[in-house]
Amino acid sequence: MTTTTGQRSTDTVHRELCHALFDALERGDVDAVARCYAPEMTLWANITGHEQTRDENLASIEKGKELLRRRTYDDRQIHTFDDGFVAQYTVTAVTHDGTRRALWACLVAEVHDGLITKLFDYLDSSKFGVPDR
Amino acid sequence: MTTTELRTMTDGEIRELCNRFFDAYQDKRVDILDEVLADDCIIWHNVFGRETTKADNLSKYHDSYDGQRRRTYDDRTINTFDDGFVIQYSLNGVMTNGHRGSLWICIVARVRDGRITRIDEYMDSSKFAAWAGAPTAATSGGQR
Repeated sequence: MTTTTGQRSTDTVHRELCHALFDALERGDVDAVARCYAPEMTLWANITGHEQTRDENLASIEKGKELLRRRTYDDRQIHTFDDGFVAQYTVTAVTHDGTRRALWACLVAEVHDGLITKLFDYLDSSKFGVPDR
Repeated sequence: MTTTELRTMTDGEIRELCNRFFDAYQDKRVDILDEVLADDCIIWHNVFGRETTKADNLSKYHDSYDGQRRRTYDDRTINTFDDGFVIQYSLNGVMTNGHRGSLWICIVARVRDGRITRIDEYMDSSKFAAWAGAPTAATSGGQR
C-alpha cells in the first residue's frame, strides 16, 4: 500500500506532514500550519458538522492562540495510506489560570502532492470543560 | 519465535472485513460479530476512556438497541493501512417513537489474520441527546 516518491516513501512523507502540522499547532506557528495546507484545503469537524475553508481555519487558529497558555498534541499514533493519514492523539491544553485539560481526538487527512487537502476532526466536545483528566 | 505465520491482509480483504463488521452490526447478527472480532479484541471509546472486551461488548449488544427501531451505518469512507483501517461514517437511527437521529463517528481498527483485534471509536457525546430525541436537545446531526 506504500509507494515511493523520489527518495522517500509515501508513508514517510505523510508521517512528516502529520508531525509538521501538529508541531506547528503546538508552537502556534500559523505560517507553518499554512505551509501544510493546499490552497483548496477544507476542515470538517464532527462537533459542528460544518466545513471550514483554509482561510477560516487559519484565522481560528490565530484567534485560538490567545485562549490558552500552552497546547500540546501528544501520544500521536499515525497510520498512513496512499492519499492520506489518520492520527489518534491526546490534545492537552493549559489555560491561563493553570487549569490543565486533555481530550482524545482523531484526525483523518487527505493528502495530494505533499499537502493536506482535507481534514476531518473527531472529538468529544463534552470533555472541553473537564479539567485534569 | 512463533511457528505460526500470520498472513498480511490485502486492501480488499480489510475493506471486506470492515463492511462485514458494520453490516453485521446493523443487521443484529451477533453470530457474525463473534466471527469477525478476535477473541482478544479490545474496544475503546473516546467518550468513556476505558477499554472493554469482546465478551462485554457482545453481551450488551441487544441492550444497546433499547429505544431504537432501526440503525444503519451509512456514508462509509474507508481507508486501509498495513494492519488496519479507518472508517468515517454516519450512524442513522430511528427510535421507537419515530424520531430520527444521526451521529458522525470515526473508528480506527487493527486487524490480524482476518479478524479485528482492536477498535478505537471517536464520537461527540454532546450529540447523544439529539440522537435519542431528548426534548432538551439543542443540536442535531446530519449528513457529513
